[in-house]
Amino acid sequence: MGKDLLGYRGAKTTFLLVAVCTLAQSMAILLQAKWLAETVSALFAGASLQEQGGTIALFLLAFLLRHGVGAIQQGIAQRFAEQTGTSLRKELLGVLFRRGPALIRKEGTGNVVTLVLEGIGKFRKYAELTIPRMMGAGITPALVWLYVFMTDRISGIILLVTMPILIAFLILVGLAARKQTERQLDSYRMLSNHFVDSLRGLMTLKFLGQSRKHSGSIRQVSEDYRKATMRTLRVAFLSSFALDFFTMLSVASVAVNLGLRLINGSIELLPALLVLILAPEYFLPVRMVGADFHATLDGKQAGEAMQSIIRASRAEETGKPEAAETARNAGAVGFGEAAVAHAATTDRAVTVGTPLSAPILKIKDNSTYRESSRPVFRWDDCSMLELSGVGLRHEEHGPASLQDVSFRIPCKGRIGIVGESGAGKSSLIDLLGGFAAPTAGEIKLNGVKLEEGNRKAWRSGVTYMLQHPYLFSSTLEDNVRFYAPDASDADVRAAVEAAGLIDLVRKLPNGLHEMIGAGGRALSGGQAQRVALARALLGGRQVLLLDEPTAHLDIETEYELKETMLSLFRDKWVFLATHRLHWMRDMDVIIVLHRGRVAETGTHEELMQLKGVYYGLITSQMEGVG
Amino acid sequence: MKQESWFRPYVTANFWRFLLIAMLGVLTVLFACMLMFTSGYLISKSALRPENILMVYVPTVGVRTFGIGRAVLHYAERLVGHDTILRILSRMRLRLYRILEPQALRLTSRYRTGDLLGVLSDDIEYLQDVYIRTVFPSFVALVLYAGVIAAAGRFDPGFALLLALYVAVLVFVLPLISLLLTKRKNREMKQARNRLYQKLTDAVLGMHEWYVSGRQQQFLTGYEEDEAEVDRTDRALKRWARLRGFIGQTVVAVTVVTVVYVAGKEYAGGSLDVTLIAAMVLAVFPLMDAFLPVSEAVERIPLYGQSVQRLKAIGHGEGSATTGYPEQLSLSRGEVDAVIRSGAHIKLEAVSFQYDANGTDAAHSAHSPAAPSPDAAEAAYSTTAHSPDPADAAYQPEAADTAYQPEATDAAHSARWAGATASGCLDKGTHALRDISLDVPAGAKVAVIGRSGAGKSTLLQLIQGVLTPSSGTVTISGTDAARFGDDISSVISVLNQSPHLFDTTLANNIRLGRPDATEEDIRQAAAMAQLTTLVDSLPDGLHTRMQEAGQRFSGGERQRVALARILLQKSPVVILDEPTVGLDPRTERELLSTIFSSLQDRTLIWVTHHLVGVEQMDEILFLEQGKVVMRGTHDELMERYPRYRGLYRLDRPGA
Repeated sequence: MGKDLLGYRGAKTTFLLVAVCTLAQSMAILLQAKWLAETVSALFAGASLQEQGGTIALFLLAFLLRHGVGAIQQGIAQRFAEQTGTSLRKELLGVLFRRGPALIRKEGTGNVVTLVLEGIGKFRKYAELTIPRMMGAGITPALVWLYVFMTDRISGIILLVTMPILIAFLILVGLAARKQTERQLDSYRMLSNHFVDSLRGLMTLKFLGQSRKHSGSIRQVSEDYRKATMRTLRVAFLSSFALDFFTMLSVASVAVNLGLRLINGSIELLPALLVLILAPEYFLPVRMVGADFHATLDGKQAGEAMQSIIRASRAEETGKPEAAETARNAGAVGFGEAAVAHAATTDRAVTVGTPLSAPILKIKDNSTYRESSRPVFRWDDCSMLELSGVGLRHEEHGPASLQDVSFRIPCKGRIGIVGESGAGKSSLIDLLGGFAAPTAGEIKLNGVKLEEGNRKAWRSGVTYMLQHPYLFSSTLEDNVRFYAPDASDADVRAAVEAAGLIDLVRKLPNGLHEMIGAGGRALSGGQAQRVALARALLGGRQVLLLDEPTAHLDIETEYELKETMLSLFRDKWVFLATHRLHWMRDMDVIIVLHRGRVAETGTHEELMQLKGVYYGLITSQMEGVG
Repeated sequence: MKQESWFRPYVTANFWRFLLIAMLGVLTVLFACMLMFTSGYLISKSALRPENILMVYVPTVGVRTFGIGRAVLHYAERLVGHDTILRILSRMRLRLYRILEPQALRLTSRYRTGDLLGVLSDDIEYLQDVYIRTVFPSFVALVLYAGVIAAAGRFDPGFALLLALYVAVLVFVLPLISLLLTKRKNREMKQARNRLYQKLTDAVLGMHEWYVSGRQQQFLTGYEEDEAEVDRTDRALKRWARLRGFIGQTVVAVTVVTVVYVAGKEYAGGSLDVTLIAAMVLAVFPLMDAFLPVSEAVERIPLYGQSVQRLKAIGHGEGSATTGYPEQLSLSRGEVDAVIRSGAHIKLEAVSFQYDANGTDAAHSAHSPAAPSPDAAEAAYSTTAHSPDPADAAYQPEAADTAYQPEATDAAHSARWAGATASGCLDKGTHALRDISLDVPAGAKVAVIGRSGAGKSTLLQLIQGVLTPSSGTVTISGTDAARFGDDISSVISVLNQSPHLFDTTLANNIRLGRPDATEEDIRQAAAMAQLTTLVDSLPDGLHTRMQEAGQRFSGGERQRVALARILLQKSPVVILDEPTVGLDPRTERELLSTIFSSLQDRTLIWVTHHLVGVEQMDEILFLEQGKVVMRGTHDELMERYPRYRGLYRLDRPGA
């Protein structure tokens, strides 16, 4: 534990400084004990208080030194934790924004947000606590023991023997507790989820007329949960009990042993007192490690989860998919799993993939990030888009989403993409948008091949409209300006008007400055699509990609939106993937996909005459429901 | 109405347990003190070289007893403490459920509600911390404080006064200063973290747009600036915590020196036995350890505020009428059964409905704490349907009292809360139904179509009796719909866009439709919902747990499970509330065909966004801004309205 921290920048200095502090602290502990023992034994021997003034002052000094140095040490560790956390977050966010939607789709939105916000906090706590704790446990007991041993051999031996017993029991109890929790993990998860599950399903329960009766089940499950938890806690708390028990027992043994030898006269009061004061200090650092163990474990895991994402992405970017896969698997510890499952996966992962020291803060000189944005790709009226033998596999050995897709679009137009669910429509849109790289074949515009180096330039020519366009939590105007922050007010107005939003804007109390998105004014699905449309228009990009823009809307809204959209499609390159085949009459070319391959291409009329796949799609939608 | 607190009743109810915990806590500290005290006494006494070893027999035994006793007491204290917390947790859960249950249908409909309720349940989990980290340590410290001062007072009043002063610094002064100093910063930090959460969530959800725009660096720079701001505050808080720790230790040092001084003086004065000097000095350290954590405990108090406030807000309806309709007017079971036997003839006569300015309906303005109109919620749903779901804050037994990090998770909660209670749609107050009449005899099939905000959800809620009309009447077989109260579920069942599948087996999920259904009934219902192939493909068939199966279930399959439930429910009326949104055309058709064939002898009220399948309806209603703008059978509409023909063509692309 703690070794993985060594890879971060500034870690070695921090370790060194903390070690120096710990050393100073340990010395202060010894001196504090010495001077206190001297004072007390002098008083015992009948010395006056005045005579002891000096020693008391020294004790005070040593005591304050101990805690003062402790505070400084915490400060050093905190600073390191903060900086390391920050650079880890920067790197993670860098990867996130470089890889974009693909990474988020893979990791899940909630997971990503939790990782960045809470994971960094946990990781910092881990870094902040671990270094002083490890140093403390490594240095202080050794020094204290040496001093005790030199003062009194027998006590030294008692302490020496107790420590391994203590640690052995700690581990044994810890293992037993983990076994116990692992056995119950499933029923735990179920019991603890039951309440949230019930609340989330409250409406459904109400519809089913079961909601009243269900409160009985909540009471029952809560009780079961309590009992199950207590069963586990009884074992889990045993580890700190073992710590307590052996520490206290050891201190008591030392005391009793000292007492007996004092009676024999084989030892003086001063060393006896000194040993007695130092005995608890000997165990203290180990007990602190025990107390913070779980908090730090959480943070360690968060750190590993983040590192594995960063490593996997880096490997993917440098074009080594296998390395990426290994890195991913090695670090595939689901972040945020129950702490009970943590221990099993602690000490793996770190050694796989690129060394940790390299990555931090290298974002700036990463060439793919700062590629030039020369207009490599020009989407003119008569540009030629050519796909030859294009294939796409999302996973190395998984099924292909697209296979051997070849077609040419010789000039600007509206291109429809249709096919059954899973035929590869969205994959094709992803490729055309430059969000994914084809795993076979090539995409060319005017003879220039789309490749890793110019993918960003490609993307800067396209706009993408999703089924659920995302509205940022900001003003309506900012949302429209998203692609063109510097657009003039008149342009914004024009775009808003063209997208058919003007009626809405008039009704809004703050007009264009109304807050929308999460926490703001709620817009209907149709209105949201119009905002996305205005955004795309203002962006002025030549290519418009649409993935199922209207299927979720009610039919009247769809009808109106279609009219607006068609009028705006005229001077753009449009790629529209949809199940809603009514769009196809307005397309210049239709690409029909079937199981990842291009089945046929042509206009609506041509394809209807062909009586192939497209004809089949149309006729199945013509049948009544029965 | 008087509002019960989320804190006091639980203390009262568990009074004896709390006392036990406090006693165990105090005893743990006392035993630790006594261990050092008797040790000091033992070696001092031994140093006097008593002739007989039996002279130190008692302290020898005492040392061992106190040593072992402390460990045992501490273990017991933690166990009893957690047991009590879990008991309180279970009562709070039950209470929250009982508060929410009657308002379930009135809370905004659909997805966001689930999110909102999730936040509340997390809030309750939070409140455990109040006890473990604040109440227990503070209480133990106070009891010890009183005890120690009283004991010292018998020994030397002057010393007692001094000690009282020192400990007061640790127990009262330092915590108070800490609270005052950090309150503002803590609040600032919490708000800043909420903003960060929203900002990042916003960016991640809108990643496509950032990615395409090429403006990523701009976001990152801005975001890091905000993070740096939070870090500055955090650093200041931590600096104070370190300083506070040091001040606390200084007080400990001064106390130790005072004890040395007093002991020396008393011994010199002959009023203290020589053997007690070391004993007293050594006992001071473990004693003071009990007072040091109070500052941190008190500093946490403001952190709980938000959770308590949210729970209070939702609890406003507590104790008031549960159905929103006078109790004496509700129906007897027999009357409900009569309605069911009659087939439930639904009739709306000249119904109008208006929401008041606050977004609640005039008839029940007291009952919906955070509920804009249902149609507003529907609009909110369609645009912001993807909310991130931070990892479940499952109870983690081993880490229960060490690994809880309320700050960051709390930010997530607040942000989710804000998202879930997003302000309503436009036209609030005009979102109403105007003069709607509708006659749905037993077995009839009616489709309702309209834009979001046209009043569809309001219409459904009126039929279910959740809302009462501002004018006109809604009756089911001649009885006011609102009078059915909770019994409405035996008359009307609902299949909506996102039916909840519970984390239990598939069979149990279906059984929810009728708890006394036999295995055979369930199998039949599943077969009618055409789930048989799916069930056969599952590892444990009907007894596969949803958690495992959930991932494999597609949207259409989930709807079929919900349909099987409704088939068991056997209510005469079924409301279909856009059950096919988000499904591809083929799945949509197949699901509709299963629904129509399995429900053919029941009354159907079907809100739909497409026109697929409307040919089979007895009547189609087009709502626009609360009014009916077109109605009739499919053939009539085709003949009469060019607009309808235009719309219909969208669903029949080949025509």
